[in-house]
Amino acid sequence: MSNGDLTATPAPPAEEPPRWFCTPPIDIFDTDAGLVLRADLPGVTADDLELQVEDNRLTLLGKVTPPIPAEARLIYQEYRIGDFLRSFILSDDVDHEHITAKLSDGVLEVTLPRATTNTPRRIQIRTQ
Amino acid sequence: MDRWLRSVNFTMEGVRAGRAYPAVNIYELDDEFLLTAELPGARVEDLELSVSGGVVTLRGARGAETDVNEERFRRSERPRGVWERTLTLPARVREDDLHAELTNGVLRLHLPKAPSTQARQIRVVERSAEAPESASAAEGTSAS
Repeated sequence: MSNGDLTATPAPPAEEPPRWFCTPPIDIFDTDAGLVLRADLPGVTADDLELQVEDNRLTLLGKVTPPIPAEARLIYQEYRIGDFLRSFILSDDVDHEHITAKLSDGVLEVTLPRATTNTPRRIQIRTQ
Repeated sequence: MDRWLRSVNFTMEGVRAGRAYPAVNIYELDDEFLLTAELPGARVEDLELSVSGGVVTLRGARGAETDVNEERFRRSERPRGVWERTLTLPARVREDDLHAELTNGVLRLHLPKAPSTQARQIRVVERSAEAPESASAAEGTSAS
């Protein structure tokens, strides 16, 4: 999975069972500076989170290490433990170069600043 | 297992309609039960756990820290609000010896089994040859 190719299903190492992906719930809200995205990723640490922007697609992949001893026997289940995967299409309004993210208590917050492309760009004309 | 399924109390119906919050799993180990719950964003001070008479109660609130104006939301999927879950335990636990950890938004509540719920040794006593014939006769009668 280190190649970062999220479009292809990564081949898990032979000893691991097939991975199960969950779609994490998210909030998106406007701020004066742009957009903020928050995603619930319980059990994910910063080391286990891959966040990437490719073209205009933002993809988050959070890997979860089951927080239980291997010998524990599941006797009642309401949720499945799996990795979190979700991707978003970014509009051109987002400054792709200045996206920042932080993860705390299992909640990811991604700050998507608004691009300042509406300021006229000055084109230098050189004379020879 | 049946007792687990029956005992789940969906009084709150979750913060979002139709689903209990938080989702809970329960595991059994040799000497304890382990209850896990997904509580992203929760801090220790937001949680209240209690066990009494074989019933575990988990209480908390989430989203209270959000200082975002409602009009600013473009998408709102994450559960918010006050929640409560009540679960009846399948066996006696040592209610004075519980501990819990909250790590990266996952709660782990350790519920050590009370001695009476651990595997009971059944002593086999060697029977003296006092009345082996009456025993086999009784067997023969019930079988016929």
